[in-house]
Amino acid sequence: MAITLNIQPTRFRASGSKLDSNRRYIRKVSSSADLKFVISRNMDVKNGGLRYVDPQGNNSDDNNYNGTFSGTAGVGIKVT
Amino acid sequence: MAGFTTSNNRIKVTQNVTSGGVTTEETVFDTNSDMPHIVGTTYLSNQTVDFSNMGQTQNYAGIDFCSSNTCIGNEWNFTFTPGFYTYETEYVYVPGEWNFSYDFFTSSYSRTYTPSQFFSRQVQVYVPSTYTRSYDTVFDACCVTDYFRYSVNSREVNNTTNIADVPEDEDGNPIDIDFIIVQATGSRSRNGKDPRFNQTYVSGVPPKTFSFQGSVLLEAAAVANGNSWMRRIMSVYVSNNKVKLNKKESVRSINNEGLDVGFPQIGSTRSTFNFNLKIFFGRFK
Repeated sequence: MAITLNIQPTRFRASGSKLDSNRRYIRKVSSSADLKFVISRNMDVKNGGLRYVDPQGNNSDDNNYNGTFSGTAGVGIKVT
Repeated sequence: MAGFTTSNNRIKVTQNVTSGGVTTEETVFDTNSDMPHIVGTTYLSNQTVDFSNMGQTQNYAGIDFCSSNTCIGNEWNFTFTPGFYTYETEYVYVPGEWNFSYDFFTSSYSRTYTPSQFFSRQVQVYVPSTYTRSYDTVFDACCVTDYFRYSVNSREVNNTTNIADVPEDEDGNPIDIDFIIVQATGSRSRNGKDPRFNQTYVSGVPPKTFSFQGSVLLEAAAVANGNSWMRRIMSVYVSNNKVKLNKKESVRSINNEGLDVGFPQIGSTRSTFNFNLKIFFGRFK
């Protein structure tokens, strides 16, 4: 039987445990992120070379890349 | 210990978390936070990403000087010699002769003899102009020639297509999407070859289903020192309420090693990928 609401001293559950205090629901944060969500293009090619924009927003180019692509940093996500 | 509070349209759930012997109360759910969630899903089958064949150009590289004398030919040579004046020695011989005479007063005959002469003299003569031709043998007739080197044409390909609309809300308005997660299953139906070799490009597409956000490297090729000269990528992203698929190719010109020889696989450099995409549309709020 599904749990509608269950409140214990060490655990809270609701709506069939879709909401459960034992889970780690991720949320967007502006700082102290545990991981990054990439939200747009993060590679570009030019002159036979490649630019990779890492989730922190830093460019990594190979020797031949000479383009001007500027990717955006990923969005910070907090796990706990 | 867990906590649950509701107030002012806010639900907050906390939980005690022990890490390194230290227990702290962490927020695990808070409706006041921007929590990523999926608001819609779209399936897109048989999305084709095609990169056409490359081209090549013949470039003048210099003159090939060959001295092997192994290549013998013939050619006509024409020579004109203009007229000119010159002096020649002329030899003259004047034979000796007797001259006879009769004297009426003395009624006597007399004779004189002039001896023969032989001498030479210089005379000016004109030598007329001449025009001659000859058919001569030429060594290295086919070795002295221009030579050429072939290069792959550089190019930049950038093509974007709309492949889907973003989900709509109950009122039929597009939902403002913050991010997408793409789950893809792909294969390369046409294996492009490196124009230099009878060898297909290394594919960056995993053989199994894979997920990505942003861009994927599809193919690449490098020269001997490892520097890349060709990249092919695709990106899937949301812009102006549309899901867009962008393919980009960048080719830097490279030269063929051999002279007077084109790239043997230049006509087999085309690659085609087919993807089945499952797109998860996400929002933070």
